[in-house]
This record gives sequence, C-alpha cells and structure tokens, in this order.
Amino acid sequence: MSTSIAMRPFARRLLKPARSQHVPPAFLLPSLLAPIQKKCSISSTTANLYPRDNNRERGVSTARRTGLRQPLSVSKTPLPKPVLDPAKRSKVEVDEDHGLWEFFHSKEKPMNTPEEDAEHGRPWCVEELRGKSWEDLHALWWVCCKERNRIATEAFERKRLEAGYGESESAKRDVTVRRTQRAIKQVLTERYYSWQDAEAIAKNDPEVDLSGEGPTYNPSDFVEEYVPEEEVSLGSDVKPEQDIPLEPEVKPEQRSSPTL
Amino acid sequence: MKPPVFGKKQVFLPNLVLTLLRTPNSPPNFATFLVPLNLNKLDMRDYLFHAYGIRVHGVRSYIQMSKLTQDKPGSKRPKPRKWFRPKSIKKMMVEMERPFVWPEEPKEFDMWDKSTFDAAQKDREMQEETFRPDFREKPSRERASIAEQAKALLSGEERWRPTPRNDEWDIEGEEEEVETDVQVPKTGP
Repeated sequence: MSTSIAMRPFARRLLKPARSQHVPPAFLLPSLLAPIQKKCSISSTTANLYPRDNNRERGVSTARRTGLRQPLSVSKTPLPKPVLDPAKRSKVEVDEDHGLWEFFHSKEKPMNTPEEDAEHGRPWCVEELRGKSWEDLHALWWVCCKERNRIATEAFERKRLEAGYGESESAKRDVTVRRTQRAIKQVLTERYYSWQDAEAIAKNDPEVDLSGEGPTYNPSDFVEEYVPEEEVSLGSDVKPEQDIPLEPEVKPEQRSSPTL
Repeated sequence: MKPPVFGKKQVFLPNLVLTLLRTPNSPPNFATFLVPLNLNKLDMRDYLFHAYGIRVHGVRSYIQMSKLTQDKPGSKRPKPRKWFRPKSIKKMMVEMERPFVWPEEPKEFDMWDKSTFDAAQKDREMQEETFRPDFREKPSRERASIAEQAKALLSGEERWRPTPRNDEWDIEGEEEEVETDVQVPKTGP
C-alpha cells in the first residue's frame, strides 16, 4: 500500500532514539500518517466535485433490495401479502357454459366411476351409417372426437390421483368410440368409390353432360314401359268394366295406353 | 377487440386427442393440454375455438423428452444394453379469455375400490420381489416374527412343544361313550 511506503521515513525517524528531541508530539501522529492523495496528472479538476458518474440511480439495486432514494406516493400503502394457503384463496367463478366443461362427463367430479364408464352401448355399425347423410356422419365424428378427449382427460386424472380401478372400463369405452369412427370412415370410403364408378359410367352416358354447361342430366325421349303381351291381349279382348266393376275405370285405360 | 383470425384450410375429420391437465399452480385463465407431436399452436387455437368455443389469447408449447428406458416399454424381460427412448411428450399451455377451475378431487375413492386396488398392488410387488436376484441375500420376511417367538420362548411366556403331525388326534380328558342309547343290531355269528 502507498500509505505504508509513505509512512516509512517518519516511522524510522520516530524509532531512532538519538534524535528524540526532534520527535513531534504523539497527538500529531494521525497527521503524519495521513494518506497521500493521488493527483491526476492530466485533469485539472478534482474528482470530488462529482460522484463517479452522473447516474442518479447509483446505488439503487433491486438485487440488493436497497429500495429507492426518495419515498413515493404509494410508499405509505402497505403491500398486500400473498395467500400461501390455497384453501383460503377466494374462489374463481367459472361460467356454466365454459368450453372446458366438455372435457368432463360431469361437473361434480373430475372423472367417471368404473360403473359410469361401463354404461355404454355398442359402436355404430357400417350398415346403420350407410343411410346417413354427410352432415350426420360429420356431426357423429365430432361427438366421437370430444368423447375421446373426455376419456383421455379422465383416464389421466385417475392415474394421477391413484384412484383405483377403472382403467379397463375407460379403455373399452375408447375402443367403442374408435370403432364408430372406423365405421364412419368406411362408409365415406365406400361412397367415394361408388361416386368414382358413377363418374366413369357417366362419361359414356349420352344422357349425362359433365361439361358443366347447362343441366347435367338430359333424359332422352320417353322409353316405353315394358308391358307383357298377355295383359295387352286381355285388355283388348275382355271388357274390364263388366268383369270387375269395383275396379276404378281409369286403370285399364292407363294400362292400355300409358302414353296418354 | 380484434376479431379472431383463423386458418383457411378446412379439416373435416380431425383425428387427435387432447388431454386436459390439472394445473393448480397456474392461474385459472390458463389451461394445459397434452397434445400429439404434430399439432402446432395455430392448430390448437383453431381447434379450441371451433370445437369448444374457447377464445384463446396465446399458446405456449414445449416438447419434453422422455427418459431412456431399457428395451421397449411393455417388454416382459427388458434386454440389457438395449436402450430405447420413448416418444417425446408435447404440452401446450393456452391463455384463455375466461377462467376455468377443475372440479374438486373426490375425498373418498370407494367407487373406484381403491382399498382392493392398493392391496392387489402391494401383493403384486411382494410377489415380484421374490424374483429379484438379490432376494436370497436379503433377510427373510419371517425374521421379525421368528425373533418375536424366540423372545417369548426365552422369557418363558410360551412353552415349546413339537408341531403336531397331521394324523394325530388331540385327545383331551377321559374317553367317553357318546351314543349310549343306540342299539347296535347284531350281525354275524
């Protein structure tokens, strides 16, 4: 240190017994030992007029929790304390129509019991779905999607809580839903194939116009209905009015001359 | 408020499963889902709005790598030095417009037959323990019982007697004829 080096000649003088008359009194010791201030050779201004820089926030630190240098208007207001116990926190009101309710079978408990999970029927089969429209099939698909989300959510929660049995029941329910989805896809595939076939036939059909201009289906002139020969002969020979009076009179005319 | 912007590609038959997770430590307007790996944030936002009517302000997603396991999961005898990493898990956290809180956890699990389930689980673990290679080195389960019995014998609480054989009768007191009033018919000479 610079002070110790500066002190050395004084100390030597102090310790020498021969020149004891010239030793300054003891109360002057602090002045003798005062540290020598370094002087900057370049700058003429002393460093003490300013702080180290012009930063107003010098010494204010969040990491060291120093606080501000001056009080604020809110300084008198006490800070709210966090409620650490979750049971004492105020309850959040959940809307009745919140979308996430659809991830549960009921609003009372987070998962179904095994009995409730087992209460389901068989999957929709392909024969039943063949007669359904696209809108019906699409709606059924979405019902299946949501049901699978529900099953997955509740199965995960059951495992997390280690609630007990119910895994196989929910797995069976899931399989049932997936079978329905498979049937829907099969029906749609069948429809697509039959549409492809119909398109191939329509290309060679003179009555169907696939160009997109005008009506697609242009039926040609009337094709005569097939009438068996015996019936025609009967109608010409025997008068139906006499034999079968109960029959309405219009019918034989229709039979004999359907073109009218 | 800005009208929500959605993707233009129509998906008619989505085949994905979302699992809603219970997250008691996150704020009520946040919901976390387990999602398939191929689902992205935009898909998630559109799916939640169109299927469930949930307006979403933002989605955060992350993929969590699974731990290494020996052999494929579910293998009966995991082969040594055959390392396998199960599929990663993708989670998405959505910030919703309206808060949602899960239904409360049930207090009792009688409907799920938890007591039987736990007992069966414990029994299975005990059974599995016997197949472990270090099972014979460990002190046997009966040790505590044997020590207790020995202590009782030494202190004189119980007297030692040999284990009765299976074909031995325990005879107590004098022999006595029970069916005195029955007349046995004489047969033979």
